[in-house]
Amino acid sequence: MNLPFFNGKPLSRARREERIFYLFVTPWLIGLVFFWGGPILAALGLSFTDWSGVNFSDIKLIGFDNYHKMFADDLFWQSVTNTVFYAVGSVFLGTIFALFLAVLLNQNIPGIAFFRSVFYLPSVTAGVAIALVWTWILNPVVGLLNFGLGLIGIDGPGWLQSPQWVLPALIIMSLFRIGPNMIILLAGLQDIPQSLYEAAEIDGAARWAKFRNITLPMLSPALFFVLVVSTVGSFQIFVEIRIMTEGGPGTSSFVLVWYLWQQAFVYLRMGYASAVAFILFIVVMILVGIQFWIGSRLVYYES
Amino acid sequence: MTKKTISRRDFLKTAAAASGGIFVFGFLNPERGVASAQDKTLLSFGQTWDAAFRPVQEEFDANWLAEHPDVEIEAVYSTWADHNNTVPVWAAAGTLPDIIYVHGSRVAPWAAEGIITSIQSFVDADPEFEVEGIWEEALRLYRVDGELVGIPYDHGPLILGYNKDLFDAAGMEYPDETWTMDMLREAAIALSDPDNLQWGWSGELDLGAGGAGAFLGGWGGVTMNEDETEMALDTPEARAALEWWYNLIHVDGAGPSQAQAEGGFGDVNGPWLQGRTAMAVVPSWETPGLARDAAFAWDVAPWPEGPVKRETGSFGSGFSITSSSVAREAAWSYMREYLSTEGMSTVWGSTGRGSPAREAAYQSWMDSADAPEGAGYYLDALKEYAVTGGPFQTLAAPEVLDILTRQAELLRLAEVSVDDAVNTIMAEATEALEALES
Repeated sequence: MNLPFFNGKPLSRARREERIFYLFVTPWLIGLVFFWGGPILAALGLSFTDWSGVNFSDIKLIGFDNYHKMFADDLFWQSVTNTVFYAVGSVFLGTIFALFLAVLLNQNIPGIAFFRSVFYLPSVTAGVAIALVWTWILNPVVGLLNFGLGLIGIDGPGWLQSPQWVLPALIIMSLFRIGPNMIILLAGLQDIPQSLYEAAEIDGAARWAKFRNITLPMLSPALFFVLVVSTVGSFQIFVEIRIMTEGGPGTSSFVLVWYLWQQAFVYLRMGYASAVAFILFIVVMILVGIQFWIGSRLVYYES
Repeated sequence: MTKKTISRRDFLKTAAAASGGIFVFGFLNPERGVASAQDKTLLSFGQTWDAAFRPVQEEFDANWLAEHPDVEIEAVYSTWADHNNTVPVWAAAGTLPDIIYVHGSRVAPWAAEGIITSIQSFVDADPEFEVEGIWEEALRLYRVDGELVGIPYDHGPLILGYNKDLFDAAGMEYPDETWTMDMLREAAIALSDPDNLQWGWSGELDLGAGGAGAFLGGWGGVTMNEDETEMALDTPEARAALEWWYNLIHVDGAGPSQAQAEGGFGDVNGPWLQGRTAMAVVPSWETPGLARDAAFAWDVAPWPEGPVKRETGSFGSGFSITSSSVAREAAWSYMREYLSTEGMSTVWGSTGRGSPAREAAYQSWMDSADAPEGAGYYLDALKEYAVTGGPFQTLAAPEVLDILTRQAELLRLAEVSVDDAVNTIMAEATEALEALES
């Protein structure tokens, strides 16, 4: 048998496996460095410059001026407020709704695969197409949503044309794409050993007690993952704003990514936009860190 | 017989070889845009034409190339909506075409960034290129520090469009040059029947490109001072103008709400386009669409005279040679013919695409099939009372325009009062202008 040699000494099987592991993971690592880490470091560097994003020769170091300007900008703080409002609403409602759907779809009845596919379909549909359709659904005069509300005697609000209701409208729209979260929670539900429920049945536990004491703890790793991923995603909302509201009416749907996109590509302030982007990165990392800290105390891992 | 399997090592070798091959092929692939023959100059042209108009462009290019066989033209397309964001990306990547479309609001910032550059030397050295024949208000958009950085190809005013069918049904006289804003208001109220989805006025309230001149000028209001260093909206004249339009829509009920317009008709200008509105602002560049899509009889009339004077806004677009162009001579050779009287008449005038930036080429548009009967009123406006206004000379122009547009939208939605809108515009736009100076 021929063995691979390295420096004249035969490698152990474990070392060979290790080398093959690094060989396979290298493309992803290269992507991580060049397409994620590199741009983040570049954004950090550019955040200390006055640069339009056009000519590299025009880059000028200005220290923390961009950050001072950002924290003094009312529109920046409004963007933060709007983003946090949207994130809290979409993550909370989205997770609840995804869990509800997952529980509903966690049944062994004929045709359940069809329903699982139907609820997942919006997730594979182009965001722009969904945004255009929801522009019509949310139309205050002829939209489906207000039509449905009208059937039960409620006079629907202006939705996308109301500064007070535009963010709630976007939160409602975000529920349309909870398919991936639903699938993850469904997989988590199906991973819960039935023996636990049987034992609970024997002890006379009611349905809610089983859900609270078995389902939720056993599902906590999946729930934790869904919360983290949803939080990160909600802070990056852009396509819906670009297609449906452009930050309006007025500035009522100005969110952080829309704000920094305008600064970078409309007003040609790439340095300032980089500062905003870096702050967004820090905020999201802090939130994820907080979630992991809470998770270490509340998430139950069988192992 | 032993079944042949692929070992892990063989798989890795094959995958690495394939990846390396693709990588190398990418480097060896000829760079896009390099001239196919060494003796031809490659001229790239960044355009935003829709597919329907491209044959016109291609025909012009073919005729021009027949007289300039030493040049090869490469058309680079982006959509009009994305073009203003695409050009800075091209510039950053070093892939700017030689000639690009430049919207009037982007001239100052792009010139400041070195994306486009002065062509004054070409103009000065080419007495046959009659720059004097271009509307001065159009040239003003493309002049930076006294030098031309582009040449406008179209320039049009905003004047009054009206639905002849609705006027006929009501037995009312069409608008004409004697009309004042008060007469517009009376007619709009008389022609409004919201319960039957009919309005006298389109509901527009615009402070953007050309809009400020139309909606404020008649009252003597302006958005900025002449050198565009300060906001000038906080005047009794401007407030009076905004109150007038606001009341026309929300108090007189003569215009649809934004929700009604978008809801019933798919677009904020839907009621006008579908013949449910008696009057609207019709810039010259919207006439081809109306000619094609309007299912009602329509025409245009002079913009009504306001309490102080008759004034409207005008705006346009043009083309520039980029600073990174290595084919500037060829680019000017192309532009001087493209933007000559004959070029404008051929490409934009006679096709009905829009109102050319030259008075000499205007007749070709007025004679085109798509031009309205009253097309001459656009010419009158350009000669007598249309102003480009601002903000277009300041580097803060895009931001100030966004601020104006946001508050105009809120006014149209009746979400803010005129006082609040003016105060907000003054505060935010002043901050944007002061940030430039610091």
